[in-house]
Amino acid sequence: MRKYMVRRVITAVITLLVVACITFFLMNAIPGNPWLSEKTPTQATIDALNAKYGLDQPLFVQLGKYLGNLVQGDFGTSIKMQKNRPVLQIILEMFPVSAKVGILAILWAVVVGVPLGCLAAYKRETWIDSLLRVVCTVGISMPGFVVATLLLHTLCGGIEGVKLFPALFDGTPGSYVLPCLALGFYPMCYLSRQTRTAMLDSINQEYIKTARAKGLKNGVIVFKHALRNALIPVITYLGPQIAFTLCGGLVVETVFSIPGLGRYFIQSIQNRDYPLIMGTTIFLAAFIIVMNLLVDVCYKIVDPRINLTRGN
Amino acid sequence: MAKTKKYNKMGSLQPNIDDILDWNKLPENAFEPATATEKESFIQERESVSYWKDAWRRLKKNTVAMVALVIIILLTIFAFAGPQIVPYTYKEQIRGSEALDPWHYTLEDQQKINDYIEEHSGSKVLSVEEAIEQARAEAEANGETLSRVEEAKIRASANVKQESAADTEITAKQAAKELGIKSKAFGYSNRELQRKAEGEDVFPHVFGTDDQGRDIMVRVMVGTRVSIIVGVCAAILVLLIGALYGSVSGYCGGVVDNVMQRIVEIIYSIPEMLIILLLSATLKPALEQFQNSGDGVLQNLVTLLGPNLISMFIAFGMLYWVTMSRIIRGQILQLKQQEYVTAARALGAKGGRIISRHLLPNCVGQIVTTTFLQIPSAIFLESFLSFLGVGVSAPLTSLGSMCSEALSGLTSYPYRLFIPAAILSLMILTLNLFGDGLRDALDPKLKK
Repeated sequence: MRKYMVRRVITAVITLLVVACITFFLMNAIPGNPWLSEKTPTQATIDALNAKYGLDQPLFVQLGKYLGNLVQGDFGTSIKMQKNRPVLQIILEMFPVSAKVGILAILWAVVVGVPLGCLAAYKRETWIDSLLRVVCTVGISMPGFVVATLLLHTLCGGIEGVKLFPALFDGTPGSYVLPCLALGFYPMCYLSRQTRTAMLDSINQEYIKTARAKGLKNGVIVFKHALRNALIPVITYLGPQIAFTLCGGLVVETVFSIPGLGRYFIQSIQNRDYPLIMGTTIFLAAFIIVMNLLVDVCYKIVDPRINLTRGN
Repeated sequence: MAKTKKYNKMGSLQPNIDDILDWNKLPENAFEPATATEKESFIQERESVSYWKDAWRRLKKNTVAMVALVIIILLTIFAFAGPQIVPYTYKEQIRGSEALDPWHYTLEDQQKINDYIEEHSGSKVLSVEEAIEQARAEAEANGETLSRVEEAKIRASANVKQESAADTEITAKQAAKELGIKSKAFGYSNRELQRKAEGEDVFPHVFGTDDQGRDIMVRVMVGTRVSIIVGVCAAILVLLIGALYGSVSGYCGGVVDNVMQRIVEIIYSIPEMLIILLLSATLKPALEQFQNSGDGVLQNLVTLLGPNLISMFIAFGMLYWVTMSRIIRGQILQLKQQEYVTAARALGAKGGRIISRHLLPNCVGQIVTTTFLQIPSAIFLESFLSFLGVGVSAPLTSLGSMCSEALSGLTSYPYRLFIPAAILSLMILTLNLFGDGLRDALDPKLKK
């Protein structure tokens, strides 16, 4: 276990380093510079600004300096979007909104998706199962923005007389409902499909027969014996799903105009605010990597049979 | 020793020598030549069922997959043949047909609706300026002049009247409902209706037009084409990189495999969406620069496909080959222990030949399935990027960017969003369903 953890942490650090380097060279390859606005500044102004923010130095020197600062927890300061404000401060201001939407979305996906999967497996080959299968297959084929706009249209005044939720995000509890519904829809469908397959697998196991032979109640068999074992593959799936939800958040934040980190990330690319692009990418990447690591550790706790050290 | 005939023991597989010697004593006419029909039937019987035929037979039994295949073919025809049939192009702005709905009223009906609206909007409401003019005229007639205060009062009351009139104003839709007029399918502008009445053949705007007068149906067709091209090209790129990397890693084994797998591990844990966003923002201008840099073969190729699309599937191909390479590596690790690989090596075949002629053909089922399932996920990603505004950009269009353009006018023109969204979802759905069917057909062992 310890050996595994060490290896994973080392890989995580290398990955972050790779992400930082890729991001750095990619963003410097985007034509244009941060100083372009309505009136084009003179070359002298650009040179002076470049010198001020150290952008006139060779790329490798810049990268080295940035990484050096990063190790000390310094993400640099924004050079355009919110001039001279520390990037970390901006991120910490924006991230809670994104995280709240993301967590609520995953939560409802799990709370609804897993029981639906159980239901489909329990009532297999009936109309309930077929209906759920159709809904879930359609659900995972719809891009996030389609779901989001569909919800926006039907529940926010597109149909006459129906205006349940505010169309624009304003921080009230009601305005969280639609973004979370939209963001959690895909994971919900995927989770319920996974749960169904896993449940069908575990229902056919010998220990279920034993439990039945002992005369246990149906509910106990399904929830205590079958579901617990079926949850293992479901947990594996949660890791990548957190990453997906964070990125899917980009779309949902655009549709509902949520002032979250995802939307800010796209704006910072468009504005060539280099420290902000670097900071956001590294922060999100680190978050995703840590989440994946946590999920893998949970995996081990849930199922002690799994031997992590021997690869996959 | 002449007559001591040796019989084999019961159940022995050893042939009896004497019997074999007896076979030479057959009479000369014991055999007769086969007739032509017999020869033919012989060949027919021996026709083998190849792997692909077998898979196709299984696939045909899968109704869902077949329906999905038919829809995919129809969508492809829609995307590639459609723009040839429709006389409009995706960037052509048709004057006088801006913002048409995908339905229309005939000219007579329009007249009726207009009359109805005029009748029912109550007393004619004066605009602010008109009200003041009127008051002034009245005042002059009485020999007085209008004071400023009075003017302001009139202005305010006229404003209020106008606002309340706007609230009670009857829309064309309500009027049509009252009159019992049903709209006809497809959008026509008034000018086009006129031309049609004169007996000309006018192609309708089946899905209406957008604010700039561009035909939505053609744009949807072109968008679908973009999606299909991105999907297929990205899948091919993923296949090439993944197959090469995976097979080398699996075949070489040892240190090479170890190093290559660590690299895969790192790429696997990179949050790909973030990098793809950056990558497509970077590649597009870079490719545009390259496109304008000269007139070589490569530059022409870039012009042909468009820098948009190329940057999209390069971004996809660069990060999504990892799954493919893992699958192929796993297969090759199993297959390289087989006897035929040892035999090939003993005959002096080189590594490259063994991989390409012996190993890869044997995992073709997995390769085809994985490649095919890349197509919907590439389309998914393309629409995602275009929706966020970093993918396909004007004048070229794609289903994702059409959706994002339609977002602002969602309440008035919901169909502008839902038509491309529906086609996109349908395409991804059918591709997924067909891919699942393909997997079951090509790899029956996996089926549960």
